[in-house]
Amino acid sequence: MNSIQLLKPAFKKIRRVFSLRSRLILFILTSGSLIVTGVIYYGLYRFLDYVGRAPMLGETFGPLVGGLLVSKLLEMLLLTLFFMVLFSSIISALSAFFLNEELPVLMASPQPVSRIFRSRFLMMSLESSWMVIAFFLPALLAFATAMKANPVAYFIYPFYIGFFLLLPNICGGFFALMLGSFFPIRQMRKVFQFLSIIVLTGMIFFLRSLEAEKLLNPSYFKDVSHYILSLQIPLLEYSPSSWLHKATMTLFRNELSTSFTQILPMILLIAGGLFVLNLFSVKFYRESWQKSMEAVENQVLGLEWIRKALIFPLRFFDKTFRVIATKEITTFLRDPAIFSQIFMMGAIVFVYGYNLSILPLKDIPTLYSGEINDSLVFLNGPFIGFILASIGMRFVYPSISMEGRAFWAVKSSPVRPERILLIKFLIYVIPMFLLGITLCAVTNLIFRVSSPVLFWMSFINVGLISMVVTALAIGVGTVYADFDADSPLKIAGSYGGFIYMISSGLFIINLLSLEAYPMYRFFFQRFVPVSRFSAYYLTIVCVVLLFFCSAAWVYIPFRKGLEVIDNYEPE
Amino acid sequence: MNQNNPIIEFSQIKKHYGEFAAVKGIDLTINSGELFGFLGPNGAGKTTMIRILTGIIKPTSGKVLIGGYDLFVEPERAKAQIGFVPDRPYLYEKLTPIEYFDFMGGLYNVNKDQVISKGEEMLKLFSLWDRRNELIESFSHGMKQKVAMSAAILHDPNIFVLDEPTVGLDPRSVKLAKDFFKSLIKKGKTVFLTTHTLSVAQDLCDRIAIIRNGEIAALGTMAELQKRASLPGNDLETVFLKITEEEQETFSHKPDEPVKK
Repeated sequence: MNSIQLLKPAFKKIRRVFSLRSRLILFILTSGSLIVTGVIYYGLYRFLDYVGRAPMLGETFGPLVGGLLVSKLLEMLLLTLFFMVLFSSIISALSAFFLNEELPVLMASPQPVSRIFRSRFLMMSLESSWMVIAFFLPALLAFATAMKANPVAYFIYPFYIGFFLLLPNICGGFFALMLGSFFPIRQMRKVFQFLSIIVLTGMIFFLRSLEAEKLLNPSYFKDVSHYILSLQIPLLEYSPSSWLHKATMTLFRNELSTSFTQILPMILLIAGGLFVLNLFSVKFYRESWQKSMEAVENQVLGLEWIRKALIFPLRFFDKTFRVIATKEITTFLRDPAIFSQIFMMGAIVFVYGYNLSILPLKDIPTLYSGEINDSLVFLNGPFIGFILASIGMRFVYPSISMEGRAFWAVKSSPVRPERILLIKFLIYVIPMFLLGITLCAVTNLIFRVSSPVLFWMSFINVGLISMVVTALAIGVGTVYADFDADSPLKIAGSYGGFIYMISSGLFIINLLSLEAYPMYRFFFQRFVPVSRFSAYYLTIVCVVLLFFCSAAWVYIPFRKGLEVIDNYEPE
Repeated sequence: MNQNNPIIEFSQIKKHYGEFAAVKGIDLTINSGELFGFLGPNGAGKTTMIRILTGIIKPTSGKVLIGGYDLFVEPERAKAQIGFVPDRPYLYEKLTPIEYFDFMGGLYNVNKDQVISKGEEMLKLFSLWDRRNELIESFSHGMKQKVAMSAAILHDPNIFVLDEPTVGLDPRSVKLAKDFFKSLIKKGKTVFLTTHTLSVAQDLCDRIAIIRNGEIAALGTMAELQKRASLPGNDLETVFLKITEEEQETFSHKPDEPVKK
């Protein structure tokens, strides 16, 4: 039996999850995912193609600086990719190496420990990387197209990425193994979730502090040579991402042999890393796993005052609502992993606000400033929608799964499933709505929105989006519920989480497309009188469709979720 | 036991998982005030029947009446009459027992005073009162079982459905649990109990049903079962083995013939 065969139960579980889904739903969702992938690929390709030519800088200077800009963007993307996988690999490793439920059986079997370790390493690498690959690969291939790479590069590049992603996984594996040797792992996993989020948040601030927008505007620099120099300096010298960056650039420029030479150090490092990791696993893995079995769960009741303050107003509500909301708040606040998520989301919201505050609105020629400002206000609602969807994925989507195996208590109680879903929706839609409205109000203030149409439109958009993304999170979270999962992070990173993000994205596209015509006709063409009957007629159709579609986006996932709860049978 | 007052009625309950029939058309009536034992070998369909009775799963066909209410037409009224203790006490680990009681009380619409007084009474009975403010995640299997049992009584149900309630309990707790079940019967409650500890069933149950391969193989009082197995004076273990062996032989040798009842 080899390491891959040891993973059979995990693969079978995934297959079972898919086989239980309706083929039509799977087809629709897969098509939706492919459309989003296509949009990412094509949108980024067009952007990079434009940046690569940099026509505003002239025919000679433009392509020179444009090429450097594209290269810089690629480097930033690879660095982000590395840290994202590193962060998620450590958490996955702690889970796969020490907390996986198959481990007691495997450890008791006569299988060599190195083989068990290799199977766990493979499991954690796939778990930590698949979603990142799904989102980043179309973006990376857009770079290839923008740089007019040969077809052979498209074939080779996924291997480069595969090798590259092995590195953070090896680092994560080492780190988890070492942590397991010295610390009680059940505690460390929670502590590390927090620490790794801080590192990732630091990464977000680091990337933000690079102020990429300045690279698009040479007037920020003293002179041309200073500007070009700043584009040529690597973000992190001698890092795996800088090696891959160099190898990618030469590969996309069709210099194959140079590219292979440049990727060689990384491959050698990976081979050495795998060899040493294997040695370490033989020496430390069994012992550290045994230690992890001895650790007890956290019994500390922290932040009780926040919990009490939050549940206090619930006493004025209906009894069922009160107890379900109290349970949600209590279990939420007592899961240390959740704080790291709050921290992370706080950072994303901060960076979003900061990005808006430094937008060079004052540099835009006065004649167009109104139009550009208005367009930004119109697009701001959907951007807030994406922030809300990310928050929904981490906090709302796992809500049903986190009921865990204790769900029998709710299912056997006299409370109807639709009431449970509705209560969960109400519990989460309020904070989501408040956050959305606050972000909208602050950003409207930054944009100094003068038009009442746009002003109120942005609030209606955010209101609709917060309702739909919450309903989607509850509904899709129920359809793809994993009652055996031990962490909300793992649940959010599952296939269902991906489907949730795709669905949220599709709703936002749906909303924008229905609003585009009325906004264009009545606002952006405000100096042209609206006289044609067809314009009014089409606008009414769009508005009716908007509310109808939003209601459908709320109702359908709820309905599907209810069907799943109705047919749910505990293992 | 009131023989003229049926409180649980299963009519032609069938449950299929694809081709496999887990329950094959069971008819069964349990009377009010009865302590009813539901026994059977592993995979016989006991847990499936219990899950159908508690509304956790739906049967493929058939009808369940609880206190006169159809479980699938008026699930709220039917379920409100049941206190359920599952075979594996999966509880909300991040809650304390007191918080868990508050949650369960709310689901069954019980007022807070009743939750507090019943909860305190039960935790003291099971010697868990000193640990009432600790998280359930730190409890052993047996302690969780006691918390689940305590939660099942909060809404003062007429029917207790207990799936393997003594698994994981120490001998003292088993004695406590048995006394507790007897006290429920004295109060006129009905208990529907499954167990593999046949001595517990023999000591406690008014009537016993033995299920095998999704069908009732034998049903009656201890004396009736002994007579059915032609083993007068023998204990339940011997009777159970005889009946289930008989059934096994019937199934392995003559699969097409109907099972004798």
